[in-house]
Amino acid sequence: MKVVVLVKEVPDLEAAVKVTGGGSGLEVEKRRGLNFFDEIAVEAALKLKEAHGATVAAVSAAAGTGVEAMRRAVAMGVESPLLIDDATLEGADPLTIARALAAAVSLDGFDLILAGKQATDDEAGLVGPMVAEILGIACVTGVTTLEVADGVATVSREVEGGSEKLRVTLPALLTAEKGLYEPRVPGMAGTMKAMKVQIARTDLATLGVTAHPPLPVAGYRTVGARPPVTMIQGEPDDAAAELVRLLREEAKVL
Amino acid sequence: MSAIGNDIYVLCEARTDDFRPATYELLAAARGLTAAAGAETVAPGSDVPEGGGVTALVAGSDAALAGKLEGLAHRVVAITAPELTPFLADPWVEALGAVIAGGAPRAVLFGESGRTRELLPRLAARLGGWGLSNCVDLKRADGDAGALEVSRPVYGGKAYVANLVPADVLLLAAFRPHSFDANAAPGGLATVVEDVAAAVAASRVELLERAEGGPRKVDLTEAAVVVAGGRGMKGPENFGLLEDLAAALEGAVGYSRALVDAGLADHAFQVGKSGKTVSPTLYIAAGVSGAIHHVMGMDTAKVVVAINTDPSAPIFEYADYGVVGDAVQVLPALTERVRAVAK
Repeated sequence: MKVVVLVKEVPDLEAAVKVTGGGSGLEVEKRRGLNFFDEIAVEAALKLKEAHGATVAAVSAAAGTGVEAMRRAVAMGVESPLLIDDATLEGADPLTIARALAAAVSLDGFDLILAGKQATDDEAGLVGPMVAEILGIACVTGVTTLEVADGVATVSREVEGGSEKLRVTLPALLTAEKGLYEPRVPGMAGTMKAMKVQIARTDLATLGVTAHPPLPVAGYRTVGARPPVTMIQGEPDDAAAELVRLLREEAKVL
Repeated sequence: MSAIGNDIYVLCEARTDDFRPATYELLAAARGLTAAAGAETVAPGSDVPEGGGVTALVAGSDAALAGKLEGLAHRVVAITAPELTPFLADPWVEALGAVIAGGAPRAVLFGESGRTRELLPRLAARLGGWGLSNCVDLKRADGDAGALEVSRPVYGGKAYVANLVPADVLLLAAFRPHSFDANAAPGGLATVVEDVAAAVAASRVELLERAEGGPRKVDLTEAAVVVAGGRGMKGPENFGLLEDLAAALEGAVGYSRALVDAGLADHAFQVGKSGKTVSPTLYIAAGVSGAIHHVMGMDTAKVVVAINTDPSAPIFEYADYGVVGDAVQVLPALTERVRAVAK
């Protein structure tokens, strides 16, 4: 079984974000790593490797980034890392990214594609299902359990007001939700391997992918900071009374 | 795909016996936009105004509720086929894709939901449209009569980006709950209902079973009030205090990652970066420290109340009102006061 994981390198949650040029640009601190949900997808792929002898490849598409994410994936146990590195991908539309990834995974074929349910930078969750649609394969988003037997995947997912259990014949694309697996922390051997690994590279022209032009950016803005907090003093009952008064009379939300 | 028209489509999503609040919010936003474009002029013999009309899409079992949309859209397209119930993405993508491609709207608006996360990206890929998630605003762009401007938070809400959507582009955008006021644009439209019998293939994904969670009046992501508990709630024996306050406020209960990771609460109710993003009118954080992870899941809330024993807890930096105290003691007092004013 061939498993391919789609991964994205993202800024750390703590990375500072600054709007520049009076709203024309955005500066993000360069502290980067493998997307939280993609780590879960990598773990799921490695579980299949251990249980079924699956081969595990990872592919990422970005402009000038992705090496950090790939090293982490390799340190965890991914065998074949491929980076689609192309300047056109800077600020690209998700559909361009999806086309690039779809073309790349088609090169060597696959039985199962795994991805995180969304990236923690834009939380869009678009690229995974787009790749499935482009490849014409079935897709389930946000899976919390995964079993594969005889070319059939059985998965669960949370839905509004409950959960469902689904069955899908491979090939398919599944996106990983928190709780599917706890990602492993790479050991020394993995980390050493990741430092020395040669990451294969390609670009859009080689893959024969044309870009879907991105929507123009009208501007960036920071979040309007909340006014300073109003602290309410007193014993629980007095504080509660005052809080309810303020929520009614000042904030007008009750 | 054929040329883009001026119509705005809204995919209406129901929950049990009514549409989700987001449906009514999005229809109001669409009515506001088409009115701004001069949609009040109806061409002779046409169902929808020349300047663009509002089309409500309802599919599967939701189509039975189409009557509730009377007056709220120029047109309701009710798409039915046996394959559309229960919901599975494959037949829905095929059926909606055909209707959208045939109608060539300007934009299709979705409410953020699990269903939207399955449908929107695949429709965008299938139709060659431009997909956006997590949006919070949509308006006509300044200085460019044909363009729309759509805004969304990025990097966990540390910044907002506004994108221009040129007039010849098909936009498929999902909006967070409470992005628009459902009463902002008047209804009272003459609504035409069209029934479409979709011919679609069976789903490649097979539904084996569906387990309903316990009865919940209000969904966490769309609740107007969220009461969230953190480590300061100490243990599950006190979670009833969160439920009591939420019930008094007709809201929903959420939990911090600390409680979920400790196995004390279900991930389905986790607020934060790796859980749900909520955007309620009132957010009450009880015993939540306010780690960046948590704040990213709630900082678009309109009014935030924080209750924490530690006056230096970061949550107070994100709060409008703060109470320094033990949440386990403050919550019951607060519930009592809320009940008193609700009477």
